[in-house]
Amino acid sequence: MSEIDIKRISYLAKLKLPSEKEEFYSQSLVDIIQWVDNLKKIDTSNVKPLHNVTEATVSIRNDDIEKNNSTEDVLNNAPERAQNFFKVPKVVE
Amino acid sequence: MSNNWEMVIGLEVHAQLKTSSKLFSSSPNLFGSEPNENVNFIDAGMPGMLPVLNWACIEKAIKTGFALNFTINKHSVFERKNYFYPDLPQGYQISQFEFPILSEGYLEIDQPDGNTKKIRIERAHLEQDAGKSIHDIDPKFSFIDLNRVGTPLLEIVSYPDLSSAEDVVNYMSSLRQTLMYIDVCDGNMQEGSLRADVNLSIRKPGGELGTRCEIKNLNSFKFIRQAIEFEFQRQIEVIESGGSVEQNTMLFDTSTGETRPMRSKEFSHDYRYFPDPDLLPVNLTDEQINQIKPSMEELPHQKIARYVSDYKIDKDISKIIIAEKENTILFEKMVNESDVNPKNIASWLVGDIFAFVKEKNLDVLNLLEYTKDITDLLKLISDDVISNKVGKEILPQVLEGKGKPNELVKKMGLEQVSNTDELEKIIDDALMGEEENIAKFQGGSDRVLGYFVGKCLKSTKGKGNPKLINKILLEKLKK
Repeated sequence: MSEIDIKRISYLAKLKLPSEKEEFYSQSLVDIIQWVDNLKKIDTSNVKPLHNVTEATVSIRNDDIEKNNSTEDVLNNAPERAQNFFKVPKVVE
Repeated sequence: MSNNWEMVIGLEVHAQLKTSSKLFSSSPNLFGSEPNENVNFIDAGMPGMLPVLNWACIEKAIKTGFALNFTINKHSVFERKNYFYPDLPQGYQISQFEFPILSEGYLEIDQPDGNTKKIRIERAHLEQDAGKSIHDIDPKFSFIDLNRVGTPLLEIVSYPDLSSAEDVVNYMSSLRQTLMYIDVCDGNMQEGSLRADVNLSIRKPGGELGTRCEIKNLNSFKFIRQAIEFEFQRQIEVIESGGSVEQNTMLFDTSTGETRPMRSKEFSHDYRYFPDPDLLPVNLTDEQINQIKPSMEELPHQKIARYVSDYKIDKDISKIIIAEKENTILFEKMVNESDVNPKNIASWLVGDIFAFVKEKNLDVLNLLEYTKDITDLLKLISDDVISNKVGKEILPQVLEGKGKPNELVKKMGLEQVSNTDELEKIIDDALMGEEENIAKFQGGSDRVLGYFVGKCLKSTKGKGNPKLINKILLEKLKK
């Protein structure tokens, strides 16, 4: 198993970790992965990947328009708004 | 200076699908609405909302599959591509990764030497578009409009088979044309319906491929060309000054015409794809795939072939007509509803009619209501009722709907003089006092004939039937 880069993982998950907790979470993740790694003991070289346990295919709908929620409904959940926009801390790459 | 370097380019093209509703929600798929007007809780990424696949998107993907010679995969899987950005509130983009709906296609593009070049396409997959962020209103805040979230995209990924900006523009425009012909995408690049990411690296002929850089989100042919030329020079300079090209995602600055690195490199991205548990795999039957085939529109290259073989139209003229789908609608309507020679219709179309459309800045489809008048006019010419020259004069009025051709001709007194008696008189008058020239003709000088025809035409103010004048003149001169 590869090393856990806890800083990178918290960056990707957008979670802020206090530095004193880094060791704890790092070790927890290692434990989890080691446990899951048990699956590697099974030889699956002749088994096709399974994406879902049912044989069913995806549900589809016709290309019809329905307006379920209004702009107000949607913006009611915005932490902050400016006119009809969501207003968020500046993000520029 | 390219110092013998060559560029190797692969293209990722994002085409927004022309559907009424979005990929996984029934919100309208519309450009130009008020901010956040076409958003429901699925699009806004609210917890517990379930995406349901729009069948029209599968149909459009299958049509693209037929048009671009793809293998259409009966089994494809939607996966989550995880990243955080405010214009995608789900926290992941639903895309296809390991099992795309289309694999291994190709498109042929024209080369300057008249040959065609086959551009292989690795894959095409369905995915959601993200929303739009506006950064320049407030110094501290970004404003988010989620209308575009969930718009269906088909991402079409070519192999690195393109080797110049010219190639890329040809490929892109041919792809655009095809997608518009089969009604998969409206092709409006200005509105972002079709956008390209360019992957470019350089090498010496036969040498090893350099590290590639990806230039994101180019939405015009002009920018594509500029970005490629700038990035090519930039990589050459980096290498020739002893450096090495770093793999990077670049942004093209449209105001300076330069590319610059986009993403911070503190941590590399990791999208952690995994099959979306909200969506079962897409399993298509042969029947579902094949029933779409009969609804396939004729493709641009098929139209060219048909125009050349059935209508005997030159390939170059056929190409001009098929450049826009609208032209072919107008052209084929005229061919189908009249017995005028298609070749004749084609040459008027690409000549005087297109010139008129361009001059008046018209939509070609506006002329659909005058197709009968246009072909009637062409018939008046081929029936020798009016001359070609008069036809050209009347055409603009016909195209503006100012009257029926035969009425216009009568009203303006422009009917061609094809009455033999009348013409004989005109010719006799023209030959009067021309003994010297008549002698020249009889002495073998053909040029004099042209002089006489011109003289007769002039006295009929261009309305004399030139063929008849020629014939009668010859008869008289040979006596």
